Amino acid sequence: MVSEINKVVIVGGGTAGWITAGILAAKLNTPQQKLIDISVIESPDIPAIGVGEGTWPTMRDTLKSMGINEGEFLSQCDASFKQGSKFIGWLNGEANDAYYHPFSLPTKFHEINLAPYWYEHKSTHNFASTVCHQPAICEQNLAPKQITAPQYAFAANYGYHLDAGKFAPFIRNHCTERLGVDHISDEVTAIKSHPNRAIESVVTKRHGTVKGDLFIDCSGLHGLLIDKHFEVPFNSVKQYLFNDSALAMQVPYSDEDSPILSTTNATAQDCGWIWDIGLQSRRGVGHVFSSAHADVSQVERNLRQYLAQSVGTKVSESLEFRQLSINPGYRQQLWVENCVAVGLSAGFVEPLEASAIALIELSAKYIASQFPQNPSHMAIIARRFNKKFEQRWHQVVEFLKLHYVLSNRRDSDYWQDACSAETQPESLKEKLQLWQHQAPYHFDSEHTEELFPAASNQFIYYGMMAETNFAMPTKQTQYAHQLFDDNQQLSQKLVAAMPSNRELLNKIRQHGLAKI
Amino acid sequence: MANPVLVNNIDHKNVKIDTRRSAELGDNVWFTLTFPDEFRAVQTHYPIFFQKDPNTGEFFPVALFGFAQNENLFLDENGWDAGYVPLFVQRQPFTIGTQMQTIDGQSQENRVLTMDMDHPRVNEEHGEPLFLEFGGNSDYLERIAGMMETLHLGNEQNKDFIACLNELELLEAVNVDVQLNDGSKHQMVGFYTINEEKLDQLPDDKLAGLVKSKYLFFIHMVLASQTNISHLLKRKNRQLGL
Repeated sequence: MVSEINKVVIVGGGTAGWITAGILAAKLNTPQQKLIDISVIESPDIPAIGVGEGTWPTMRDTLKSMGINEGEFLSQCDASFKQGSKFIGWLNGEANDAYYHPFSLPTKFHEINLAPYWYEHKSTHNFASTVCHQPAICEQNLAPKQITAPQYAFAANYGYHLDAGKFAPFIRNHCTERLGVDHISDEVTAIKSHPNRAIESVVTKRHGTVKGDLFIDCSGLHGLLIDKHFEVPFNSVKQYLFNDSALAMQVPYSDEDSPILSTTNATAQDCGWIWDIGLQSRRGVGHVFSSAHADVSQVERNLRQYLAQSVGTKVSESLEFRQLSINPGYRQQLWVENCVAVGLSAGFVEPLEASAIALIELSAKYIASQFPQNPSHMAIIARRFNKKFEQRWHQVVEFLKLHYVLSNRRDSDYWQDACSAETQPESLKEKLQLWQHQAPYHFDSEHTEELFPAASNQFIYYGMMAETNFAMPTKQTQYAHQLFDDNQQLSQKLVAAMPSNRELLNKIRQHGLAKI
Repeated sequence: MANPVLVNNIDHKNVKIDTRRSAELGDNVWFTLTFPDEFRAVQTHYPIFFQKDPNTGEFFPVALFGFAQNENLFLDENGWDAGYVPLFVQRQPFTIGTQMQTIDGQSQENRVLTMDMDHPRVNEEHGEPLFLEFGGNSDYLERIAGMMETLHLGNEQNKDFIACLNELELLEAVNVDVQLNDGSKHQMVGFYTINEEKLDQLPDDKLAGLVKSKYLFFIHMVLASQTNISHLLKRKNRQLGL
């Protein structure tokens, strides 16, 4: 049977547009045979917003599936390895208040739930380092692999930190040169629809009318198709996550040997939190905040004070910032007729767990693997997609909120509001009750393909020193203790063997990474 | 730690190089770097594999002498029991150094002969002198100089050869499993070899390119050399009295 859906038009370039194009082209077409025609209409005048400099480990698979050389990606996108997140000052804001949410799972996670066994030692041992080898590596700014490891292989799981302004053009070149994606550099001026509102074509300034069977709205905050054409209502989540602004800065390293962080560091402040991301050539630092709780001058002061600790007052005071606004929430429907929203046009929340790029990848992979054959097939896919991604957005909101509600901080209105019961989703309240009696684990999930694995819940819940009343007898104590010892040995071994992030990235610039 | 110095006929007029083959003189290595122009001689005696440089991740071909670190199965009380000793072993204790030189106001990098003064071969009693009575180069030193030039070209040749193998994705990881006569098993990891299946499936134009560059010949030498694993095994069994 011949597919009736064979022309995909992606409106908007940027990270969302090009990742989506790349994933679709790599999955649906082969170098020999182009079954689906994929075009990206990218406005030359609208600068990409460049959201999110952090990815999940899913990005390794995404890049690999597109046939991208990891060494070239790292060097050309100023990218570094991200092995998870470090949350500083979230529990009480005192010195030494920090915990890791690493990308590697607790050891033998699918075989044994180590949380109850760790729990007896919680006063002397932190959860993440006891069950996982990654925090030790991160603590020393070490890389997750050695130069002899093949591309995308690792000793500790990783994603990336990257310069979004370099990443989008990098993927664009790969898409157009290797994957047969058409790049139309033009501006969309009008949308023509079928009688049933489905989009028939978009009209561009210089390339005339571009017809398509499936349209993907990657136009970012403009929401050209999903908002302007279909007028899908926006589902605000500001009642749960009230951070609605950010100040962002590019921070130079003090010298070319300065260490590159292994994690995104998120440091809690009295009115939000500061992200700190280490790229190869600079840091990306920013302060997310709630405009209802603080004004820009207070946030700017926080940010400069934070930076002064690492670069000194003089540099800190000299840096310029950019203000961004965040409207936390997502579209009530993401797929309408023959149009699906991916990226910022679909929604956005504060980048606490770097979900933005991950959701782009997941959306594009869903579309590619469930690619509709005809309009009636598409209607089913659309319904299922909407259900799935509404769940996922809700999971993001719930998981981000989890980071706040376990805090003991009450030092400002912001933290009082962030922790108050009225600002918590009901589903999260239920989970928190559940976890008072049992550790987060696989079986407490109500959905398959949970966006954040149960391990993530464990790392946050126990990182924040939350309590569980374990009543179950713990039968495998000896085995668990052996795993703790093994983990400690592995941690030490890796700390001794792994190069620093800086050293490995410099080597990759020089020698690349082998495919095998 | 190596202590390389520039070879010269003043500081080193009495220096001799002990050219006997023994573990004490540093021959207890289980593999050495090799290069395509040497493959024909090497494959007569030793298996050729590829390894990754731990500092750069780049591949290089090696000739294998044993199954574990410090094990050279070709060494016995009479020296090195094989008709050919690879040049990267023979060149010890010499290395190629670089020196900046200014010629007509232009600075350029020159290759110079350096020697590891802490190497056990370096002494003033036994072996080949570097210089003649009045400071002229000995035949031995001339031979070494020629050898170092060959090795330099060998390194360059490796770069092109490896780049070609990478380009055609002809390398694959291989675990070398050996079983001794007493049933004990040894596995060596971190080795790579030519993927024969991929080689067989190369399109004609690529194959023609490999013939023309002579790389196909070198590839076949590598593949043929692997039967030497069984010779190594025989030596190992014999050494253990098995």
